Amino acid sequence: MFDYRPGDSPVHLLNPVTKLAVAVGLTVIVFLLPNPWGPALIVVTLLGVAAVAGFPGSVAKLAAVLTGPLLIAVVIVQGLFYPGNETPLLAVGPVTFWEEGVSYGLLVFFRVLVVVCAILIMVFSTYPKAMMVAFIDKGLSPKLAYVFMASLQFVPEMQRRARAIIEAQQARGLDLEANLWRRFQALLTMMIPLLAGALISVETRSLALEARGFSRVGMRNYLIEVPDRTTDRVIRWSMAAIVVLVALWRIVL
Amino acid sequence: MSLIEIEDLTFSYASQQHEPALRNLSCTIEQGSFVGITGLAEAGKSTCCRLIAGYIPHFFHGEFSGRVNVAGTDTRETTIGELAERVGFVFENPFDQLTGASLTVLEEAAFALENMGLAREEIRLRAEKSLSQVGMEDLMDRHPQQLSGGQSQRLALASILAVKPEVFILDEPTSQLDPLGVEEVFDVITDMHSRGNTLIVVSQDLDHLAIHADRLVVIDRGEIKWDGEPREVLLEAAEARYPILIPDVLEISRKLRAAGRIPSNSPVPLTVEQAATVLSSIDERGSAAQPIDSGRTSRHSKVESSKELVFEDVHYDYPTGVSAIRGVSLSLDEGCVCIVGQNGAGKTTFAKHLNGLLRPTRGRVLVRGKDTREYRVAELAREVGLAFQNPDDQLFRSTVEEEVRFGPDNVGASPE
Repeated sequence: MFDYRPGDSPVHLLNPVTKLAVAVGLTVIVFLLPNPWGPALIVVTLLGVAAVAGFPGSVAKLAAVLTGPLLIAVVIVQGLFYPGNETPLLAVGPVTFWEEGVSYGLLVFFRVLVVVCAILIMVFSTYPKAMMVAFIDKGLSPKLAYVFMASLQFVPEMQRRARAIIEAQQARGLDLEANLWRRFQALLTMMIPLLAGALISVETRSLALEARGFSRVGMRNYLIEVPDRTTDRVIRWSMAAIVVLVALWRIVL
Repeated sequence: MSLIEIEDLTFSYASQQHEPALRNLSCTIEQGSFVGITGLAEAGKSTCCRLIAGYIPHFFHGEFSGRVNVAGTDTRETTIGELAERVGFVFENPFDQLTGASLTVLEEAAFALENMGLAREEIRLRAEKSLSQVGMEDLMDRHPQQLSGGQSQRLALASILAVKPEVFILDEPTSQLDPLGVEEVFDVITDMHSRGNTLIVVSQDLDHLAIHADRLVVIDRGEIKWDGEPREVLLEAAEARYPILIPDVLEISRKLRAAGRIPSNSPVPLTVEQAATVLSSIDERGSAAQPIDSGRTSRHSKVESSKELVFEDVHYDYPTGVSAIRGVSLSLDEGCVCIVGQNGAGKTTFAKHLNGLLRPTRGRVLVRGKDTREYRVAELAREVGLAFQNPDDQLFRSTVEEEVRFGPDNVGASPE
């Protein structure tokens, strides 16, 4: 679902650090903007960027799934109870929706939507190893970068192990389709071999990493090259300038 | 000077200080040799390997006396990382030893080279070459988690090969693999030896080890019990009735020689081919072998619905679309039935249908007349016991008694 989508679009070719800088910059900007129009415009722009990258549908669908419940909850709650509510927008029987509350709810929703879309575009267009190499090039410790990469595979690995344990327990009569208490007991029973197995594999893995020079001090190099072009630097500096300008505008006005 | 020198080595793990894992062990290993190490569980085989790779004393701590030298360097005076460029190590578990941070087979093979800081082009060339040496050149873009056990073990070997160490240590590299995986790994090991690499392989699989190794060492309670040419070591072990798995060919040949059926002046055969050659020279012919006709070899056995276990036109498709079982019909009753087949043939899928862990996507399975689609796994567990491959995934309790009680408690058996 959150996997990299291979491609050679201009978005794919950007340095991962640039994409992260843009995502962070946009996050700051949308929290500085006072009404929902600005963030809404940025969402439209981001969907355009996703279209250039070749995955507008994936970003739109996943963003809708992730933020849809928030839209409903925040607009209803703020529309009804926002402290600054003054102008009635819609009255349904005894219930009144207020313009200020709905506007504030939409602002919160679009802010979150911008952050989600920016992160999805970054994740979909960036090969994880390229992200790791780019961050190491910018000074991130290789050990931290390894933790980032390993964490991507940790969940599927634990799922595989947990499935094997549950099947072994079911084969010995553990009833997973019984009441909630039995299911809770089953969960506890599963945790022991799951954690023990994980600890055993950590010992083997740490030795295997040592055996491959993971702790070696000195220069490293990487199989893949992640260039940092002039375009990347221009985009990063522009993003920084826009953030500063928006901040000044908000302070002055 | 020998490549590896172990002198009067005694080592006790910190967790078992009063019980040395190795006692006054001394041996040397020459460059280019293939040394097999075998012995009973907890004999000290892995400890010996860990010493050579420097994991002892740098990772596993304990009481250490004596000396281990690898290519002139005392292992206590260097680090695991530095030794790793001279000593490559392949572990028992094919999956846990992968880095867990690579998205392709090529990246996994390149991991150590990246840490060594080699030029990008050299990293690629060496990783590709090592993968081609283990026959994985067609799998370079595959995710490591999608490999079989045998392929993962070969990938681990390729990752070490890429570093070009002087010594390769393989600690039980085939114990968790199916027969095809074992053959794949031993093919690579044999090829590595023929290229002049120094190999130390710990294994209980003496059928393979005896054929390929130059020398076999049997470790018993931390000491070397036998050390020599594999055939001679195994003959001595067999004479002493030592409990290791003597290869069938050697055991049969030894008994035939003792009975005077094959000449005592020729070496005892180790392989089927050698045995066939020796046996073909016997003049006295036995009765001609008759083809076995058990009446059970037809592709589609007759299904009798009164049997204990019945499969009726069973199909199973995984959610990924893989069709693992297609139209299996059979019935099983008392007796021992072996299900054999290569990786991915559908054996595990078949077994999981026996207690309802998987339910047919088409057809039905009857266990003592119960349709598995209509019963919970917990209910079927009273009828069908199913044990899996990895013991680590199957033990949940802190004492043996609690462990044994786990199943009966679940099915509501009385305390008696």
